[in-house]
Amino acid sequence: MSALLQFLIAGLKNGAIYSLVALGFTIVYAATGAINFAQGEFFMLGGMLGVLLVNLGLPLPIALLLAVVGTAAIGALFEVLAIRPIADGDPLRIIMVTIGGSVLLRQIALHIFGPDEVPLPPFTQGTSIKVLGAAIELQTVWIWVLTAIAMVGLFLLYRRTAFGRAMRATAINREAARLVGIDTRFMVTASFALAAGLGAVAGLAVAPLTQTAFDVGAGIGVKGFSAAILGGLGNPVAAVGGGLILGMMESLTAGYINPLYKDAVALVVLLAVLFVRPQGLFGGSGREKV
Amino acid sequence: MSWRTLRVAVPFVAAVAVAALPFVVSDTFLLKVFTYVGINVVVVVGLALLFGYAGQVSLGHSAFVGIGAYTCALATVRMHAPWPVAFAAAGIVAGAGGMVLALPSLRLRGHYLAMATLAFGELASLAFGEATPITGGVDGFSGIPFPSLGPLVIRSASGLYWLVWAVAGIALLIASSMVSLRPGRAMRALHGSELGAQACGVDVVGVKVRAFVISAVLAGLAGALYASVIGFISPSVFTVSASVTFLAMAVIGGTGSLAGPVLAAALLTLLTYLDALIPGISRQAAQTVQSLQADVYGLAIILVVLFAPGGIGAMWRRKSREGERA
Amino acid sequence: MARLGTARWCVTVLLLLVLSIALVGCSSASSSSTGSGSSGSSGSPIKVGAILSLTGPYAALGASEKNALELEVKRINDAGGLGGSQIEVIIEDDATDEAKAVAAATKLIEQDKVVAILGATGTGQSMAVRTVINRAGVPQISMAGGNAITGTFDPLVFQTPWPNSIIVPFVLKKMATDGHTKIAVLSDSSGYGKDGLAIITADAPKNGMTIVANEVFKPGDTDYSAQLTKVKNSGADAILLWTAGKEGAAIVKQAESLGLKLPMYGGSGQAKIEFPKGAGTAAEGFVFGTGKSLVPANWGAGTDEFKVVDDFATRYQAAYGAAPDIFAGHAFDALNIFADSVKRSGGDTSAAKLRDAIEQTSGLVGFGGKFTFSSSDHNGLAEKDLSLYKIVNGTWVPIQ
Repeated sequence: MSALLQFLIAGLKNGAIYSLVALGFTIVYAATGAINFAQGEFFMLGGMLGVLLVNLGLPLPIALLLAVVGTAAIGALFEVLAIRPIADGDPLRIIMVTIGGSVLLRQIALHIFGPDEVPLPPFTQGTSIKVLGAAIELQTVWIWVLTAIAMVGLFLLYRRTAFGRAMRATAINREAARLVGIDTRFMVTASFALAAGLGAVAGLAVAPLTQTAFDVGAGIGVKGFSAAILGGLGNPVAAVGGGLILGMMESLTAGYINPLYKDAVALVVLLAVLFVRPQGLFGGSGREKV
Repeated sequence: MSWRTLRVAVPFVAAVAVAALPFVVSDTFLLKVFTYVGINVVVVVGLALLFGYAGQVSLGHSAFVGIGAYTCALATVRMHAPWPVAFAAAGIVAGAGGMVLALPSLRLRGHYLAMATLAFGELASLAFGEATPITGGVDGFSGIPFPSLGPLVIRSASGLYWLVWAVAGIALLIASSMVSLRPGRAMRALHGSELGAQACGVDVVGVKVRAFVISAVLAGLAGALYASVIGFISPSVFTVSASVTFLAMAVIGGTGSLAGPVLAAALLTLLTYLDALIPGISRQAAQTVQSLQADVYGLAIILVVLFAPGGIGAMWRRKSREGERA
Repeated sequence: MARLGTARWCVTVLLLLVLSIALVGCSSASSSSTGSGSSGSSGSPIKVGAILSLTGPYAALGASEKNALELEVKRINDAGGLGGSQIEVIIEDDATDEAKAVAAATKLIEQDKVVAILGATGTGQSMAVRTVINRAGVPQISMAGGNAITGTFDPLVFQTPWPNSIIVPFVLKKMATDGHTKIAVLSDSSGYGKDGLAIITADAPKNGMTIVANEVFKPGDTDYSAQLTKVKNSGADAILLWTAGKEGAAIVKQAESLGLKLPMYGGSGQAKIEFPKGAGTAAEGFVFGTGKSLVPANWGAGTDEFKVVDDFATRYQAAYGAAPDIFAGHAFDALNIFADSVKRSGGDTSAAKLRDAIEQTSGLVGFGGKFTFSSSDHNGLAEKDLSLYKIVNGTWVPIQ
């Protein structure tokens, strides 16, 4: 019983991280109609910048905040430099640019931070919380809190602000949005900044548990994308659902079948969903979501 | 000399130069390097068809190279099959894998195939490492024999070089005849506008699947060549980052061209061996180039897509059009 | 005019290409060689090839190895070489790439006519060159740690690092002495982890221990709840961790926060500073086994081993301004085993003679310990060359 509870806790912890990364995919997809293959690198950059700033002697909360803002700025800069010139063209070209960008960001991180793994201190010191024989690390609580804040914030941003309405309008129909006076180019930049910021939050939240390194982005990118596809690409709520379900599936596979098959779960789920139900679990009928 | 004759002359001179190389180069290391270039050319010719003509992105082609390599290794070492049989089997098995992957995902839009191939590539490299009884696991598979045609065993550096480039040449010939005939026109139509192509009666899915399967077969054959030339394979070679390298070669080489990707494959492969090509180069310089190699791939992909969407191929065509006009 | 110009231009470029390739072919290819016999020795130099990963993921390891090789070649040549002949080490970079390692081996053997190959840096590259080595019959001394190198026996291949096959039994014995009977094993699915696990499962019963939990994780995993929960519920009284990856630190940390307070043991994978640094307080008290030379004082002042390791460390420090790491040490051993064998063969460097001489190496003191090869053991190190360490205050101290 306590074992099952422990597996569920782990599933919810990883699922929350996948949700954050999946949200990044969803936001960029909504704005551009393309998959951002560099999303995982924003996860990596968040963690690495956090470590760098802490090592420079900044207090942890300020370092974390600056790391998120910094990663968001890098995301925006990447969009302005490399995506904007082709934003209205073939999504294939955007995909290619993000593939090139992910290689480049990873290499830059390697040159700056070196090849070794680096630690980030936990957000709060202390022993784990014991619940019915299972233990919850304090950092796990932080992951949940941050994920919840990010989601509520995103919801409010989208539903309650003029900026959010403009972003949604851009996602639904870029031409129409432009006609009613929305600066759609800025909206695409904003979506990259937002996606990068969410990736950085995820990367920072996990780093105290696992350490981080220049090459952690590719793996988490595939997981996040699998989660986004599982839920249904282009729908933020579905992305979160997909992330949590994927986390659970992995954790239960690791717990009851074999930990080595854990990574294969996401890949098999990804292929199965693509082949059988490309609109995702929570997507509508076969209609391609714009 | 007119431009038309040049179009015949250039490939001819290039073919003669490639074939004559072992007579002028005595350095075995250099010959090996150019042999590896040939192996990569075989893969990239397939990717040029897939990306440059059919407009599809694959991030999993090193998985097909791996499938071909392991098929060849298993067939020759475990089943004692004659080498030509093992070589053909490598292409067939990889092609079958390509078909299974392509049929469902090509009914979807481009980015879905990219992700499906990425997932496939990751799964394949997991499988190469974990299926120890079959693949030898992470320790690798050694003792793969040299290629042989009947009683003739090809073991010399120049023999291997000629074999690899013969395969590359045949692949290029088949590909270039394909793109100039009906299937190629259908593929190019796809790259322009899928909807338009469909309206003109092009079997869109069929064309895409065909391009994908052919590229998988070529990757499998390249894998068999790699296994036989090196004699040892391990999962660390057939990774997703190798797939990205192949894709970079195809992208930089340019769409709608075969010569461009071949040139790009040669140049990017030779980057790794700069120290062998430029005798006087300092170790430091070679090392710097080497550590910046992946940066070059990444940056080149971005720059080509942004500023020269046709890649090297388009530059050549532009030049050639200017030539026609002049 | 323009047309003609372009056409001529193209043909010229092609011709230049062919010409330059021919030129490159005639001049000898790159490769830095060290200590070619310019000083007044009589015989032609003895050429030995080294395949190192000077670029790519193992670049840091290869750099240390190159330093050590160059330092030792200079020392040997300054002292008059081997029986009057100078040594020339031709170093090739394999870029941590198996195909390039094979090309380098082919070039070294067929073109430079080296009498032996030192290397490669990595296990995969060391295994990859075997086909070439076997064809030429040239002996190889690898500096990579993989058990497969000498575990999958090849009469031509020797190895200098401490392999799992001696470290695992050594650590298991310590666990038994500490009174553990039910142990949990956590290993990764890389070559190092798999290899260690096979020996652990075979050897634990011999030490009176039962494996009550056998959990595997993948390099790159970030959550170990499943494995650690099963360990927790297995009733184990100690944990044996077998990994060389960065996951070690994260596992020890997560074990602590899940309330798993069992004594933990490990091997060479934990003998790098990133482990205690990454795991923090959770690593305190962790016990691992690896070579004695990790802390040279271990040998005891005055012993032959201490003198050799200390002398090497002093000269290395003086030449490069840093203490040698274990990889430098493994390269030091590879070259000295070679040099010692050439001396004993009376300068006969024909492939078969040299191989036999290397196999007859006996009691040679090096960085790794005292090397004694035999027709069935091409690693030549033993438990006497190992030591146990405990993590105290974020660094390791030898256990007496």
